[in-house]
Amino acid sequence: MNEMSTTIQNVRSVTPEQLMRELALGEKPFILDVRNEDEFQQWRIEGKDAVETLHIPYFDFLEDPEVNIGKVPKGREITVVCAKGGSSEYVAQLLSERGYQARNLAGGMIAWGNAHQFTEVSMAKEGQPDIVFYQINRFGKGCLSYLIGSAGEAIVVDPSRHIDQYINLANEKGLKIKHVFDTHLHADHISGGAALAERVGATYHIRMADAEGARFPYESLRDGQRFDVGNVTLRVIALETPGHTPGSTTFLINDKFLLTGDTIFVLGAGRPDLGGQAEPWARDLYRTLFEKLAPLPDDVWVLPAHFSSADEQREDGLVTERLGEIRRTNAVMQSRSEEEFIRSVLASLSEQPAIYGKIRKANLGWIQADEDEVTEMELGKNQCAASAIPTGR
Amino acid sequence: MTAINFDRVLDARGLSCPLPIINARQEITTLEPGQVLKVLATDRGSVKDFQGWAKTAKNISLVSQATEVIDGKEVYVHYVQKIG
Repeated sequence: MNEMSTTIQNVRSVTPEQLMRELALGEKPFILDVRNEDEFQQWRIEGKDAVETLHIPYFDFLEDPEVNIGKVPKGREITVVCAKGGSSEYVAQLLSERGYQARNLAGGMIAWGNAHQFTEVSMAKEGQPDIVFYQINRFGKGCLSYLIGSAGEAIVVDPSRHIDQYINLANEKGLKIKHVFDTHLHADHISGGAALAERVGATYHIRMADAEGARFPYESLRDGQRFDVGNVTLRVIALETPGHTPGSTTFLINDKFLLTGDTIFVLGAGRPDLGGQAEPWARDLYRTLFEKLAPLPDDVWVLPAHFSSADEQREDGLVTERLGEIRRTNAVMQSRSEEEFIRSVLASLSEQPAIYGKIRKANLGWIQADEDEVTEMELGKNQCAASAIPTGR
Repeated sequence: MTAINFDRVLDARGLSCPLPIINARQEITTLEPGQVLKVLATDRGSVKDFQGWAKTAKNISLVSQATEVIDGKEVYVHYVQKIG
């Protein structure tokens, strides 16, 4: 009866990290996605260029293997993808038996959504070689977080719930995590902020405007608050930048790097409607972008908490851009007046995923969810940006 | 909700895809046309997968789906009828 355990054997597999590297290097893997229609429509493998993808659910291969295998191109490597890696392994096996070059994405889209890639922010070392500065890219979801340290101490900003990733990196670099920051109360993913701080004995910081009523200890951030980390080689200044949320905070690192959270992205800006008060928050966002951040010089590097398109990623893998370039090219920065800005931002908004309310509650510690529930809640790419808005309408 | 009649039960709890559907396909071959197989699964993905499978497969129809709590765990129940 249990025929699978005997037929599945020795299918080659690829890890999410490896597949991401191939996509970033401009290789052209061919994806065969065998999930059901709904799952496929909701979320798929994306890369720097359009990814060639064929969608045939695995049960179609069960019903009519010959016809469906016939739709798969021969003579090139096929990367088979499903939700958890089981059905894709089965289909990869089926293809291998017929002489196809097939491999399985290990762990499926769940593993894709949970994988993290570490990229050094190399510009940070100029003149300050002792600084350790990493952008941690959870590429399946488009979530970015940061570990920054010097002289044995570190801070972490916007950690995902996979807190071992940060602890391991800190240990490897000989750093003790002293402060953990969330730029805002996240709605698209479960924060690892409070849990990481508790585990390593650090202080957790988030602004009270976002975290009021949270069921865990935190220190509310104040505008202009300064943190010296590791012998003052690392100076962190918190700036109140409401808009995406009322408590959104931006961190200025050594006057050169601006960790903007969901305030401003390389393309687009943080959508102001996730808390149900789109217009007043859009007004806050305008003041943040055009007044609060206005004194900052053009050569500051913006390091956001999200990206939504691969165009936002540089050749070296970093998602970053200079503030001056963002001022010049980012569509939301082109508005001439407050009213025009609000109109265009509000017009760009799509419906927020229904699960975002529940994720916010989980991030306040109001509800507890087990691993399966959390995985389910976090499925799919973040939708935190107001999209790039064509002007002139 | 009216109770749904069934002729056999397949326990696919604890199995993840593609096993619930592979095993259901096999079980269906032993049924007579018109008979109904009740499948118990804990894999949440099975809900959409059984719907998709029923659209593709020519010899079955998905009569009904339900969620039950059995032994404190959510169980997805699929009623599949053999046709033709």
